[in-house]
Amino acid sequence: MNNRNVVIIGGGPCGIEAAKTLAKLGHTAFLIEKEPHLGGHLAKWDRLFPYGQKADEVLNKITSGLENVKWFVDTQVTSINRIDKSYNVILGNGMSILADAVLLTTGFSLFPAEKKEEYGYGIYDRVITNADLEHYFAEGNDHRIQYPKKIGFVHCVGSRDEKAGNRQCSKVCCATAVKQACEIKEKFPNSTVYCFYMDLRMFGRNYEDMYLEAQKKYGIIFVRGRVSEVSEKQDGTLLIKAEDTLSGKPLRVSLDLLVLMAGMVQNSDTAKFAQMLSLNIPEDGFFQSKNYFTAPGVSSKKGVFYAGACTGPKTLPEAIAEGKSVALTIDEYLL
Amino acid sequence: MKERFASGYNDFVLPFMLSMIFILVYLLVAIIRVIIQLPPKDRKRYLLSLINPVILVKDIKDIICDVLLHVKIWKRKPLLGYMHSSIAFGWFMIILIGHIETFLYVPERAGLLYYPIFFRFFMMETNHTLQGALLFFLMDFFLLVILSGIALAMFKRIRSRALGMRRTTRTTLPDKIAMYALWAIFPLRLLAEGFTAGISGGSFLTKSVWLLFSNFLSNDYHILPTWWAYSIALGTFFFCLPFTRYMHIPTEIFFITLKNAGIKSWHPRKGYALAEIYSCSSCGMCIDACPMNAQKKNLKYSSVYFIRFLRRRNRRKMEEIADKCLQCGKCVAVCPVEVDSCRLKLLSRERHRDGKIKADYTYLQRVNTVEPAEKRPKVLYYAGCMSQLTPSIGKAMGSLLDKASVEWSPMDKDGGICCGRPLILSGRREEAQAMIQRNTELILASGADTLLVTCPICFKVFREEYNLPGIRVVHHSQYLNELVKSGALKVEKEDTRMVYHDPCELGRGCGIYEEPRELLSKVCELVPAGHERDESICCGGSVGSITLSHEERVHITDAAVEDLMTNHPQEIVTACPLCLKTFSPRSAKKVRDLAEVIDRCSTSPEK
Amino acid sequence: MIDFGYGLTPSSAIDLDKMDRTHFEILIRREPDVLKCMACGSCAASCTAGVYTTMNLRKGILLLSRGQEKSALEQFRSCMLCGKCQLVCPRGINTRNLILSILKTYSIQ
Repeated sequence: MNNRNVVIIGGGPCGIEAAKTLAKLGHTAFLIEKEPHLGGHLAKWDRLFPYGQKADEVLNKITSGLENVKWFVDTQVTSINRIDKSYNVILGNGMSILADAVLLTTGFSLFPAEKKEEYGYGIYDRVITNADLEHYFAEGNDHRIQYPKKIGFVHCVGSRDEKAGNRQCSKVCCATAVKQACEIKEKFPNSTVYCFYMDLRMFGRNYEDMYLEAQKKYGIIFVRGRVSEVSEKQDGTLLIKAEDTLSGKPLRVSLDLLVLMAGMVQNSDTAKFAQMLSLNIPEDGFFQSKNYFTAPGVSSKKGVFYAGACTGPKTLPEAIAEGKSVALTIDEYLL
Repeated sequence: MKERFASGYNDFVLPFMLSMIFILVYLLVAIIRVIIQLPPKDRKRYLLSLINPVILVKDIKDIICDVLLHVKIWKRKPLLGYMHSSIAFGWFMIILIGHIETFLYVPERAGLLYYPIFFRFFMMETNHTLQGALLFFLMDFFLLVILSGIALAMFKRIRSRALGMRRTTRTTLPDKIAMYALWAIFPLRLLAEGFTAGISGGSFLTKSVWLLFSNFLSNDYHILPTWWAYSIALGTFFFCLPFTRYMHIPTEIFFITLKNAGIKSWHPRKGYALAEIYSCSSCGMCIDACPMNAQKKNLKYSSVYFIRFLRRRNRRKMEEIADKCLQCGKCVAVCPVEVDSCRLKLLSRERHRDGKIKADYTYLQRVNTVEPAEKRPKVLYYAGCMSQLTPSIGKAMGSLLDKASVEWSPMDKDGGICCGRPLILSGRREEAQAMIQRNTELILASGADTLLVTCPICFKVFREEYNLPGIRVVHHSQYLNELVKSGALKVEKEDTRMVYHDPCELGRGCGIYEEPRELLSKVCELVPAGHERDESICCGGSVGSITLSHEERVHITDAAVEDLMTNHPQEIVTACPLCLKTFSPRSAKKVRDLAEVIDRCSTSPEK
Repeated sequence: MIDFGYGLTPSSAIDLDKMDRTHFEILIRREPDVLKCMACGSCAASCTAGVYTTMNLRKGILLLSRGQEKSALEQFRSCMLCGKCQLVCPRGINTRNLILSILKTYSIQ
C-alpha cells in the first residue's frame, strides 16, 4: 500500500468530498481552507434547489467522516515549490507539507454586484443580492427587507456579460432565482414577485417542475427582458426599466425590493495559484482541464489536479461528484 | 575678402538655383490657392490680420518659437527638441550669416540667391580676413550644431526610443529620398568648405578639415566635385520638397499666420485644412499619444497617417481612420504644429456620410421633461443619458445640493433628450440642431439661471453649440469647488490616496484641469497618474469613435487603468459618467465620481 | 383577369424560404456585431428615443435578420445616437455603428 501525501486547497463540498475519499483510499489528505470554517458557499446558503433541502443538513452529511483527514481552516497557502516529483506546500500557519499531489478545489467567487452600477447595489437601500437573501432566509433579519409588496429578481447579473468581463452562463442562477422567488413569496404571501430573465435555463431533473410550480402555485410573473436601469424615487422605492421583449415594448415597474442574481466568476485566488504552479489560465479566468471528457480533473502540470467550480460553473451535485471522482484519478496517478 | 571670379558664377550652382526657382513658384501658387479656397469671410479676416500689428508680432514670435526653435517639442521631449531646433535654427543661422557676409563683403552680389549659400567658393581670403573671424567662427559653429542634429536624426531612425519616442512614422519613398538628401547636405557642405578652406579661409571646423585633407589630398581638383555634390544634394532636397513631409518647413510659416488670424477648418481638405495637411511634419508625436495604440495593430490609425491619406486623397483609408478615432484630442494636444486632426476627422465624417434614411426628430417637440415646479429653481440639473446608468452620481449630486441648500430641480430625472453631442460626433451636426433647439426651449422655460451638468460630453456641447442667454452652464467639478470655497459645503479631509482621471471632453475638450484637483486636494491625498492633464489617456469608452469595437476598447481601458495606478492610489476618481462606467469593470480599485467623494466627505454648514 | 373585388390575402407568416438576405449580408460586412445580439432587450429598455417613439433596436435587428425590412426601418429615423444602448449591451455590440450602418445600407421606399 503506498501511503502518499495529497494537499487539497479549498474546503468547499468538492474539496471535502475529495479529501474524504483520498483518506479512504489510504492516502494522507491535507485539506486547507482560508475561511474560518469548512463548506465554502454552501455554508452561507439556506436552502437548495430543486427540492428545497436545508443547506446545513447537506453540509453536515458531507463534513461527517472527516476524522481521517487532516484539515486546517483559517489557513492560507503561502507558496508551493516543486521538488523533484513532489510539491512543497508552505502554509500561513508555518507548516510545510511535502505533497505527492496537489488538488485545487478553489471553487468560485460571487460576482461583485456593485460593479454593475446601473443596478444600484450599494447605492440604493433596497437592492440586495442572492447571497444577501439567503443570509436573510437563514438568519431572519435584514434592514433592507421590510415587508416588501413588490419584489423583482434580476437574472444574469455579471453572467453572460462581456462588459462585466464574464461571458459564461453561471448555470445555477436561473434555478436559484426561481427557488428564491418562491421562498420569498411564501414569506410574504401578499407580495407580487417578478423574475427578469434573458433565457430560463432549467436544465436539470425536476428543475422544470420547480418553474411550473413557481408559475402555478406562487404566481411568479416572468418577464423576458434584461433590466437595464434602476432608479430610486423620493420615497425610496425603486423604478425598474426593462424591455418586455415578448411584447416588444419598454416596460417599467416600481419595486420595494430588488434581488440581483450575482453569477459565478473565477475565484479571486485563481490567479495566485496559477502563478505559484505556473498554470495557464484562459481568458475567462477559470482553470482549464487537460481534456473536458476524458481527463476533467487533470491539469497541464504533473501532479496537479482540479475539481469543482474552479474549472467553470457547476451545480452542487456536480461539484461533489467531481470531488469523489478526482480522488480516484489521483489514486491512479500515485500508484 | 575678395571675389575669386569676376563672373561670380559657376555651373555647379544650377541644381540649387533651378530647384529654388521651382520651389518658390510652387509655394506661391499653393499659397494663392489656399487663400482663394478660403470662404470670403475667412479670406477677409486673413488679409486684415496681415496688417494688424498685434497679430503680426504674434506671428513673428510663433514663427521663431515653433518653426526655428521648436519650443513645443523641447517642452515634451528635450532631446527631440534639440534635434529639430539644431537643424532648423542652425540652418537658418547659416543662411542668415551667409547673407550678412555677402552684404558686408560683396554688396553688389546681394541679390543673387546662390551667392550666400556658396559664399566660400566664390570668395578668397585676404589679409583683412580677421575682421570676419567672428562670422567664420559662427558659420562653423552652426554647421557643427546642424551636424549634431543630423547625427541624432540618424540615430533616431535606428533607436527612436532614445529620443523619447516609442514609435516613429513609417516613411514613404519620396520622404526617404529627401531625408537622405537632407542628411547629405551638411556633411557635403563641410567637405566642400573644407577643401576650399585653404583659399577662402575657415574656422575651427572647416580649417581642421582642410588641414586633415591637405596632408594627403592636396590636389585642387577635389574642390569642384564636392561643391557640385553639395549643390546637387540641395537641389534634390528642394525638388522633392512638395512631395515629402519636409513641405511642412515652408508651409508652417504660412499656417501660423492663418492660425493666428483665428481661422478654423471648415472642409477636410480645402483652404485652411490644406495648409494644416501640408504643415504636418510627420514627426509621429501623435503615434505614441494615441490611446488606440495600446494595441500595436492600431498604429495605422494614428493621426499622422490620417493626414497622409488625406493629402493623397485616399478616401477609403482616410474614412476608415476618421471613423475609428476616439476624438479624445490627445494627438492635437501633443502636436507641435497644432494641426487639429480631430476636427479634420470630424469634418471628414460630416462630408462622407451617405445614409439613405433621413432622420426625423419631430417627436422631440412633444417631449417635456421639465417638471412644473411651484418655485422657479435657481439651478437646473441636467444629468444626461449616461448618468442614468451611473445612479451614484445623481444620488450624490442631489444630496450635495440639498446639503448646500441650493434651490434646484432635475431636468431629466426620468430620462430626457440627448444633448446632441453624440450626433455631432457622428458627423451629423445639422440633425443635432433638433435636440439643441428643444433642449434650449426647455432650459429657458425652466426659469433657472444656472445649468448644472455632470457629464463632460453634454457640458462641451452646452457651452459651444447652445445659445442660452442669461444662463450659466457649469460642470459639477466647477460648481462643487465653488460651493466648498464659498463655505456652502463643509468638507473634511480623509486619509485616502486617490488619483484623478481627466476626462477627455472636460480636460482637453473644455480646458478644465484645476477645479477638480483643487476640490479633491481638500478631501484626500491626491497622487499623480502616469499621464495627466492634456496627456491623460482616454478611458476607451468615448462616444467619439464610431467603429471601434468593444473588444478593442477594452485594451485602451486596461492601459488607462494601468497608467492611473502608477502611484498606487486606493481609489480612482473621475468626473464623467462614461469614464466611470468604462473603468469600473476593468479596475481592481474602486472607481468613483467626484460628486460621490465630495458627498462622502462633506456636511451642511448649519449642522 | 377579371377583378372579382377580392383576392388572396397575403400570408402574414414569415417565410424564411423566400427571405431576401441581400441587405442583411451587406449589413453584416459593415458591422459584424449585428450577429452578436441575444435579444435581451437592454437597448430597448434604456433607449432615450424609445420612450417617445417606436425605436427598438432589438426588434429592429430581429426583423432585419428575418428580411422584414418594411416594418423595421421607420423606427431608426428617431434615433439620437446617444450611445446608451452601447453602454448597456451585455454583448458589447457597437450599436451606434450598427445603426449608422443600417441607415447606410437600407432605404425606405
